[in-house]
Amino acid sequence: MTPAGPFVVAARVSLLLVVSLTIQLAVAARIEVFGVQGDLMLLVAIMAGLAAGPDRGASVAFATGIAFDLMLQSPFGLSALTYVIVAYVIGSLQDTVLRAAWWIPVATAVIGSAIGVILYGVFGTIVGQDLLHPSLLKIALVVSLLNALLAPVALRAVRWATDTSSSVRARAIMR
Amino acid sequence: MALSRRTGRSRLTIALLVLTSITVLTLDFRDSSVVSGAREVAATIFSPLRGVAETATEPFSNAWNGVTGYGDLERENEELRALVDEMRGERVRDEDAAEQLAVLLEQLEIDWVGDIPTATARVIAGPGSNFSRAVEIDKGSDHGLKEGMPVVTGAGLLGKLVQVTGQRSHVMLITDPDFAVGVRLVESGITGTAEGTGEGDPLIVDTGLEAGSEVDEGAALTTSGSDRSAFPGFIPVGTVTGSQPGSGGLTVDLVVEPLADTSRLAFVTVLLWEPGG
Repeated sequence: MTPAGPFVVAARVSLLLVVSLTIQLAVAARIEVFGVQGDLMLLVAIMAGLAAGPDRGASVAFATGIAFDLMLQSPFGLSALTYVIVAYVIGSLQDTVLRAAWWIPVATAVIGSAIGVILYGVFGTIVGQDLLHPSLLKIALVVSLLNALLAPVALRAVRWATDTSSSVRARAIMR
Repeated sequence: MALSRRTGRSRLTIALLVLTSITVLTLDFRDSSVVSGAREVAATIFSPLRGVAETATEPFSNAWNGVTGYGDLERENEELRALVDEMRGERVRDEDAAEQLAVLLEQLEIDWVGDIPTATARVIAGPGSNFSRAVEIDKGSDHGLKEGMPVVTGAGLLGKLVQVTGQRSHVMLITDPDFAVGVRLVESGITGTAEGTGEGDPLIVDTGLEAGSEVDEGAALTTSGSDRSAFPGFIPVGTVTGSQPGSGGLTVDLVVEPLADTSRLAFVTVLLWEPGG
């Protein structure tokens, strides 16, 4: 197989981000489950860590967070900071702990989403947003469950976007 | 050896990305024009695509919200019917009072909200995430809108415009912790500053009242419209629901329920008014 060049990967990731952002803002943000919106962008960041490892995964997560922050009226960089850390932790665990099994992307989406939401709340509160409310736990729970449902599809999309000839890791996870 | 080199590179990458995130956060808190400019450009480029996607998925999201919110809608409908009956009676009295107020303010040369030109806009998008509080409307600078202009609903003050592009604008809601407005208690004339504390939570008004002072529950507040105020006067803001000790315990803060319902918005009115304008 011919290795995909950096420009091809960058183009694929850009396309992935545009599509994800469109779905997040036009669909996920308008459909609430128990008063909570889905968080597709966080899922993309988590799956980036899982599919591409801590290094490239964190970079894709950063781009995902920045793209999302550009469209929101919340502190610019907060999503990026949260996503980078979540993707790095998941990518590092995936390097050392995780093994190929069908349930791994689902479990990772649940745990990663819960960590991501809580981390966002903590960072948000540090920068003066006062997000540490009891409702944060409800948001973490609902986002985790919604992201668990979407995890297999999201992983396929992220794997396609970040795949180079050497990234066989993601294929191993999907087997 | 190769593993430790890779780990070292990963740590360098994460350190750089975290530092970059903190840097842009700092720029945002310093109100950098770079950040606001980037947001405007992104919103302008992305808006058409988002609009098409929203239109295409609207039937689905409407159906979902109709099914999941049916019980709430039914209850709300009953409450609204009772409220409409009540308001019919109050309307005549209010019209008379409004005319008298307009005459009085004209004599005092104070801007009255009833005289300010307005633009009606449709809310086309709510907050894009669980932590964002701004909503998006379908009018922008092409319609004469500018940043900072007040936004109201039929009930009262809803927020202000914070990002305006050609065809769309973002509204910072009154419940946003970054939102602050000068207010006046209608009966006593006491002034203070109301600040948002988050979606679904009341406003907190720092009036400077001494500890032990009492303010009647249900007392109404409007914008103060004082000099250099970011809002014109006499826009209904909320009603007092309680009080709590202020910072240091020497003063009393008022707990105020906003009149405008920020949870379900369809159409809003932008007051084409600027401070000093």
